[in-house]
Parts: sequence; C-alpha cells; structure tokens
Amino acid sequence: MNNNNLERQDEEVLQLLKDYPKPTPDAGFYDRALARATHEGSRRQRNRWVMTGFGSAVAAGLVLWFVGTVFLASPDLPQPEASIPGITMTLEEPRTVNLVFASAMALDMATLTVTLPAGIELAGFPGQREITWQTSLVEGKNFLPLELIALSSAGGEVLARLEHDDRDRTFRLRVDVS
Amino acid sequence: MSSEANKQAFEALVQPHFDRLYRLAFRLTGRKTEAEDLFQELLIKAFGKLDDLVAIDEPGSWLSRVMYNLFIDEQRRYARRRMHTVEEGFLPVGGIEGFAGTESPERDQHRLEQLNQLDVALKQLSDDHRLIVLLHDTEGYKLEEIHTLMGIPVGTVKSRLHRARARLREILVQSGTFS
Repeated sequence: MNNNNLERQDEEVLQLLKDYPKPTPDAGFYDRALARATHEGSRRQRNRWVMTGFGSAVAAGLVLWFVGTVFLASPDLPQPEASIPGITMTLEEPRTVNLVFASAMALDMATLTVTLPAGIELAGFPGQREITWQTSLVEGKNFLPLELIALSSAGGEVLARLEHDDRDRTFRLRVDVS
Repeated sequence: MSSEANKQAFEALVQPHFDRLYRLAFRLTGRKTEAEDLFQELLIKAFGKLDDLVAIDEPGSWLSRVMYNLFIDEQRRYARRRMHTVEEGFLPVGGIEGFAGTESPERDQHRLEQLNQLDVALKQLSDDHRLIVLLHDTEGYKLEEIHTLMGIPVGTVKSRLHRARARLREILVQSGTFS
C-alpha cells in the first residue's frame, strides 16, 4: 500500500473519530445527581440496582431468580422446599443469574449480602463466600445480574439477604451442578 | 457557610464541567448506567471535599482526576458490570442509529455504516488504547491532559494513541470500510 493511501486512511480514521457520537445523559439527570450529592453529603451509594424490563432479560436467554415482592415488614417465614427456585450449572461454566426484586417501595441504602456454598463462586470475587453491597432499590422492579461459576460438583444453596433498617429478608436459590 | 451557601458554591464550581465529566464517565465505563453511577459517586465525593474544591485553581481537572481514580479503585466492580449488565448504553444494541448528518441521505447512510464499523473496531482495542483514542480524537483532550488524568508519561500517551489509530485503520480496512 502506498503512503498516499495510508495517509488518506489515517485522515479518514481521524474524521470518523471526530464524528463518533458523544453521549448525553437523560433529561434531568444532572439536576437529580446534584440534588442527591448535596442532600446526602458524604453518604455513598454503591452498586445501584439496574432497572430493566423483564422482557429484555428473558429475550437475552438469562435465568431469572425472581424473588418476589419485597415486604420487609412482613415476618420472614421459612420458605417451603418446593418453592425454592433452582438452576443446574455445568462445572466451571459461568452462568448468569439475574436477581430480581419487585419492591413495594423505594428503599435507600439497603444492604444485600450474597452467601455462596463451597464450590460456587461469584465472578470477580474469587475465594469469597460472602459478598456485601450497599444499594438502593427503587419502587418497582430492580435487577442485578450475578455471574456464578461452579468449581465443584457439590452444589448447594445461594442465599441473598436484603437488609434495611432493622428488617431483613433472605431468599434462596438451589444450585445443582452436573 | 450555611448549607444553602455550600450547595450554591458547590453548584457554581461543578456545573460548568458536567458535560465533560459525564462524557469522561461514559468513556471510562462504556455504559450509561455505570457512567451515571460514576458521575454520582464523583459528585458525592466532591461535595464532601468542598473546602478543598473551592481552593483549587482548575476544578475541572481536579474533578476529572478524582473521577478517574474512583473508576480505577472500583474497576473490578465496573468491569464486572460491563460484562454482565444488560446493555443500556446510548448506542443501541444494533449499533449507532443516527447522527447529525449534513449531506445527502445516501452519504449520511454511508457515514452511519462507517460509524457502526468504527464502533465495532473500538471494541477490539484494549481498554487503555480505546480510552486514549476516544479522549484525544473524539473528546478533544490534549496529550498533556491525558497524561495528567491517567498518570502516564506524555510519550507513552502519544505512542499508545498512534498504535490505537493504526489498529483502528487495520480493522476498518479488513472490514472493507475503507478501500
């Protein structure tokens, strides 16, 4: 390829990069962010829940761990074995489980703790059996993808414990490994 | 200062930099949801350091560096989300839907296809190369500003920029975008 061609292509790359779209936030985002920062001061919000429609998750072929409506004020009754959702994983093959809460109200600074059985790990957190986030739930559907990896065939139960103020609920997911 | 005065002082200092900071957050995280989180984290942190902020000559630079450091500190969290969060970026799943075309419909359509190919090509670069080329060539950062932001020597910024552009050219030629 001659130098003229290379120079022309370099120029085209530069021009394309200049034209590459510049992201803009949703209307009102700056105002909301500013209000939150000034009202909350140094309170730190971590790991915000991602709101999304169920449809897109289903379309993506992902497993939904739908833990139902969150009524933290109600007693945390034992979950009947038959009602515990379950998945079957393949050894050492990552599987994304989408943890979904339909919250009856907005919950600010809730704490979510995921507890894993021996042999199941959360991607990005090797060797950790318990991972905790602080998060806020919006009223309505809240969605968090968790990528699980089975490192042994033992399986077990993954627990998701949601705490807010002095109330909490625990949800269970049975994991079998084939 | 009263809390209302604090709020007003904070707004006056940070608001002029919002667009640039939001775009930096987006270039760092690659997704709208994560960009919003990072932007929010920055504002919360910056408000907690209002006393420092008012004494700084170039708050925009300072805010950018704080944002970059926040991102690096929490990269694992953002990286994990990048891999698994349902796409919410400003670019639709199928690529770029439109841009501000000024030429004929045929030429605009051709340009749109080229931009989609560029989008695909950018995803094939390393994180560092993609960030540098987007900051410099799309966002208009100077080499010195990228050096200050990322804490790498200007010479390294320059060589990575050249390599990133060369790689983009290769990919675009291979995909038939350029003849």
